Amino acid sequence: MNKDHIIEQLKKQIENFETSTLTEKVGTVIEVGDGVAKISGLSDVMASEMIEFLPSEASAKKGPGGIFGVVLNLEEGQIGAMILGACEGIKEGDTVKSTGKILSVPVGENLIGRVVSPLGVALDGKGQIQSEKFYPVEKIAPGVITRKSVSQPVQTGIKAIDSMIPIGRGQRELIIGDRQVGKTAIAVDAIINQKGQDLICIYVAIGQKESKIARIVAELEKHGAMEHTIVVLAGASDPAALSFIAPYAGCAMGEYFMDQGKDVLIIYDDLSKHAWAYRQISLILKRPPGREAYPGDIFYLHSRLLERSARLNEDFGGGSITALPIIETQAGDVSAYIPTNVISITDGQIYLESDLFYKGVRPAINAGLSVSRVGSSAQTKAMKKVAGKIRLDLAQFRELEAFAQFGSDLDEKTRQQIERGRRTVEVLKQGQYEPMSMENQVVALYALTQGFMDDVAVEKISVWEADFHKYLKSSAKDVLSLIAKEKELSEGVVKKLEAAIKDFKDIYQNGA
Amino acid sequence: MKITVAQYAKTLHESVKDKSQKEIPEIISGFVKILAKNNQVKNSGKIIDKFSDIYNQENGIVEAEIASREVLSNMLSNKIKSFVKEKYQAKEVILKNIVDEKIKGGIVIKVGDELMDASVSKQLRDLKYKLSN
Repeated sequence: MNKDHIIEQLKKQIENFETSTLTEKVGTVIEVGDGVAKISGLSDVMASEMIEFLPSEASAKKGPGGIFGVVLNLEEGQIGAMILGACEGIKEGDTVKSTGKILSVPVGENLIGRVVSPLGVALDGKGQIQSEKFYPVEKIAPGVITRKSVSQPVQTGIKAIDSMIPIGRGQRELIIGDRQVGKTAIAVDAIINQKGQDLICIYVAIGQKESKIARIVAELEKHGAMEHTIVVLAGASDPAALSFIAPYAGCAMGEYFMDQGKDVLIIYDDLSKHAWAYRQISLILKRPPGREAYPGDIFYLHSRLLERSARLNEDFGGGSITALPIIETQAGDVSAYIPTNVISITDGQIYLESDLFYKGVRPAINAGLSVSRVGSSAQTKAMKKVAGKIRLDLAQFRELEAFAQFGSDLDEKTRQQIERGRRTVEVLKQGQYEPMSMENQVVALYALTQGFMDDVAVEKISVWEADFHKYLKSSAKDVLSLIAKEKELSEGVVKKLEAAIKDFKDIYQNGA
Repeated sequence: MKITVAQYAKTLHESVKDKSQKEIPEIISGFVKILAKNNQVKNSGKIIDKFSDIYNQENGIVEAEIASREVLSNMLSNKIKSFVKEKYQAKEVILKNIVDEKIKGGIVIKVGDELMDASVSKQLRDLKYKLSN
């Protein structure tokens, strides 16, 4: 390419350039501060319409497309709008243009594997994202005739969840707990476990530390999980307006895939910070504060978001959005305003406890307080068969745990129950980034509930289990593949499995 | 109840409408007295602005701000005037010419909250955007 050629091409482009002059609706900024602007003029603007701020310097620098904003308040003489971006540089008297468009984000396959801002702008330095399709950020949830009850499971790869608190595709399962108890870890494990499967994952980070997101993205990349994942990031230093729209934008990106008949898993990390961001915007817009200074529509804020998760029936494509919202509690207080709201909206919750976490039970799931209201209908038959006993074993163990200190004074049956409970807790422990396939979970839990682990010392359970999986993989692969295929524990499978367990135990005891 | 600026302006407009030149000064002085009584004299500027808005609307007068690089010639002014008159179906057009060197050429017409940007700087901006994409 020589310079003449370049000049020629440029000439051609300039020759073809056409510009048109249209009448635009404009307004002027009367007040700006804290990410919110008051604007006069703009008489025909719609609620939640995108508007464009044209700061005198920025418009010259960036070309068409200054900073965008969204209209939130329509008042008699003025408009209240939040600014989606840095509000520095916008000053009183600046021109604001209406766009006539409701706030929408780019959607499509191109977003998969990328880290994007809530407006769909690439943040990972891997180049611009080209997308022809746009979906509105705010959308009314699918109606009742389009829906179907959950029937297929989301395999999180976490034994405690897949067995006791199963999640179905289209369900909304809340992950709730104090800071630093492994809420995000569960979500990330669930994403990693979808590798090579048909679920597209969207991780929405709301007001999170950028360092944490960098770590998560690196971890996902390491496990090859970014290939089916979109990360929507509104960092802690981004304006509250971006944190506010992030979950809706992530949901819009998911809705695109749902409309294609695909299944989507979306994680909102976390909705407490989302509520804070909305509280900030509302207070600055002078909307009246209510309980805990949250505005009156804080419930609707989350209910309209989570209602967009759905399992569509075949007539509407059969896609689904499964939501895993995360809520951070303060000192285990689940009866605070936002946690109770979100608990009542979702189809169950996974309750993580810091006491358990510090005791070394990780994931620190409190099996008594965690429920899944609809997930059991989506559980595979094989899992259902082994899981029923686990809940019972654990519940009995919790009741008897207090007596465990009396040691030898207990009768045989009680002692046995305590021993079984200890082993159950031990088996349900699982390392981070180590999701387990459904068939492996089933065989481990089968061995546990049928008492094959009763003669293994509690401290050695995890080693025993790991060796057991290794043995099955090398010597009894057909059992695993049979369970994976049939998803059921038929008599034939049970016989083969029991034989395999016995073989393994013989080898194990002789070897050890 | 608080009386808004718009309400004052509307009241004033209604009370002076269809009145003779003789009566008007009397009405105005009465209006100012009420303003003083209600501690609203500080808002008189806003009320005057609002009043002229209402008056213009009632009488089909359109105020247009024209930004250009150099002062507009008479011929151009008249052309723009008739263009605005036709576009907004106004009886009368008041032109306000602003000289703005930043627009580099062309004109920017602003009527109320509607804007027509036919400036060179906007076209250059569009060109830059097109070339960079």
